Amino acid sequence: MTEQTTPSAPPKMAARHVNVFYGDKQAIRDVSIEIDNDHVIAFIGPSGCGKSTFLRTLNRMNDTVAGARVEGDITLDGENIYDPSMDVVQLRARVGMVFQKPNPFPKSIYDNIAYGPRIHGLANSKADLDVIVESALRRAGLWDEVKDRLKDSGTALSGGQQQRLCIGRAIAVEPEVILMDEPCSALDPIATAKIEELIHELRGRYAIAIVTHNMQQAARVSQRTAFFHLGTLVEYGVTSEIFTNPREDRTKDYITGRYG
Amino acid sequence: MTSPPPDETLTRRIPTDWKGQAMQRRIAARYRAERRFRLIGLASILLSAGFLAFLLVSMLGNGLSGFTRTEIAVKFDFPRAPMVVDPAMLEGGNADQVLAGANLPVVTAQAANAALGEGGDALISSNAWLTVRDAIRDDPSILQREAVLSLPASADIDLAAKSQGTAQAEAAYARLKQGGHVSRAINMPFLTASDATDPTQVGIWGAFKGSLLTMLVTLLLSFPVGVLAALYLEEYAPRNRWTDMIEVSINNLAAVPSIIFGLLGLAVFLNMMHLPRSAPLVGGLTMALMTMPVIVIAGRNAIKAVPPSIRDAALGIGASPVQVVFHHVLPLALPGIMTGTIIGMARALGETAPLLMIGMRAFIASPPGGVTDPATVLPVQIFLWSDEISKGFVEKTSAAIIVLLLFLLGMNSIAIYLRNKFEKRW
Ligand SMILES: Nc1ncnc2c1ncn2[C@@H]1O[C@H](COP(=O)(O)OP(=O)(O)O)[C@@H](O)[C@H]1O
Ligand SMILES: [Mg+2]
Repeated sequence: MTEQTTPSAPPKMAARHVNVFYGDKQAIRDVSIEIDNDHVIAFIGPSGCGKSTFLRTLNRMNDTVAGARVEGDITLDGENIYDPSMDVVQLRARVGMVFQKPNPFPKSIYDNIAYGPRIHGLANSKADLDVIVESALRRAGLWDEVKDRLKDSGTALSGGQQQRLCIGRAIAVEPEVILMDEPCSALDPIATAKIEELIHELRGRYAIAIVTHNMQQAARVSQRTAFFHLGTLVEYGVTSEIFTNPREDRTKDYITGRYG
Repeated sequence: MTSPPPDETLTRRIPTDWKGQAMQRRIAARYRAERRFRLIGLASILLSAGFLAFLLVSMLGNGLSGFTRTEIAVKFDFPRAPMVVDPAMLEGGNADQVLAGANLPVVTAQAANAALGEGGDALISSNAWLTVRDAIRDDPSILQREAVLSLPASADIDLAAKSQGTAQAEAAYARLKQGGHVSRAINMPFLTASDATDPTQVGIWGAFKGSLLTMLVTLLLSFPVGVLAALYLEEYAPRNRWTDMIEVSINNLAAVPSIIFGLLGLAVFLNMMHLPRSAPLVGGLTMALMTMPVIVIAGRNAIKAVPPSIRDAALGIGASPVQVVFHHVLPLALPGIMTGTIIGMARALGETAPLLMIGMRAFIASPPGGVTDPATVLPVQIFLWSDEISKGFVEKTSAAIIVLLLFLLGMNSIAIYLRNKFEKRW
């Protein structure tokens, strides 16, 4: 079993011997990993190694890709998410996702946040919804910047604000897990710092998995790091140890910038 | 000889002379190409604009006079006229019936002869008594006194007034003019009446209403079906041989000549389903068959153009596929779908051939009351009038074309308004 993780509580999500195929091509090979509530886990690895693919299997976004196929077990609170009895729409509300490119809806800032709670019936009244929108925007660190223009289009915000809006949109439906796929790769350093700060604040409240291309970012925001290479999970452990004392040569080569 | 090692070629590389003659020539050539392209583009725009201007000018030139008519002032001395009408009978709704039996045609002819000299009754329209009837109905008090009414001129005089008549008619018109009898007025009946055999009596309203009803049936049928088909094909249907075949068939359907849809309508709607002949319902159904593929193709393209990131975003917070489609994809694709719809509808509005096949070419003298009443449509009406021998129909044909163009303009304006309203930018 994976070492370092303290087995205090059962993991929020666990993947066991997961294989993912696109048609005949295998993108993920026999990956087993756990995501728990207390730690932010970072997925690192060179381009094309399958980080996004693996992340997308965790909320079944890969279902939408023609020819994608998943083998193995992935559980959320012990329930297999690929079981036919699992409702995929509800799963995606429980396991939220933030994408690489900020993708707010071409609707008002308010409606961007309110959309999820509306379709899941989380608010009984307009006042309820107002409270949900405000608290989501506050937790996304965006409230002070947009509180006077909630009616403006979400697409009129800057890239960094858009990405925080997307994070706010994800947390407005009170998910249990948040998956982020290179959320800062399209942002400037200041906006990136804001998102990283936000991840710090969200930690503990949600189980968070983040894919990143940026070693320093992985070191800054995560407590656990998983290193992928060519579809396999090469090494998985406490972030500080992976960065100071990697066990595998491939990990060492990667984090010292030998390839990427 | 082997080629020199790479680093040697690097050192021998001649720096680009950005200011050299060859470069200057290249720049000049680029500017020339730029100018040439602009000129060609401008020329094509001017050419299309020229054709459009020619069409409009010739239509307006020929057709505007169709909206006016020549009227001849005739004095009536009702108390002395050979008619008996009890003004009390004119109260209530059946004034028209009472007046129809009141010998008005004779009264009118006599008044014309008295006012304009012998043969005066030939100078006014044979239906001029209808104008007299309307005048009495609107104001029964004129039966107690003398009144001067403006009556529509006969087709010959009307043509002569527009300098297209025979020498004889021109002479008669000149005499009338000298006597100060004639005037020019807006031809209201043209906008409110239906087809007739006399060109001074025809109206466009019947065909206009027929077109309106036909388009309504077409839109109500082809828009929802076309949009749903496009959504299903884009968002739900698996990609396989069957959907490929459906795609090819739909593309083919959009290019099938319209006459074939007419034959199909004839065979299916009239012969098999026994729907009423000449009705806007059948016309609309036939047009819907023709318009649907256009909407499906435009719709699919518009749906494809919705960025996948929006679908991901919605799916990622737990929207169901139907919610993704109706909350996000459809609203964003709607402007494009509407553009396609309006192109299809404009084509349907101008179609003649398939409607001839299902019997919408009949002579219909009253506007349709509903979608199952016999009717004709604007392009068919234009076709029928252009086929008439009487010269008076020439300007009516052009006037009808102007009405058709205005209809089209109205339809397109609504579409552009809706598109701008729904268009979102991101
Ligand atoms: N939709 C897809 N269809 C086919 N192959 C894909 C698809 N998405 C990703 N892949 C392949 O799967 C592998 C992993 O891709 P990805 O998960 O995007 O890598 P990463 O996010 O680590 O850069 C790559 O080889 C990529 O080409
Ligand atoms: Mg990726």
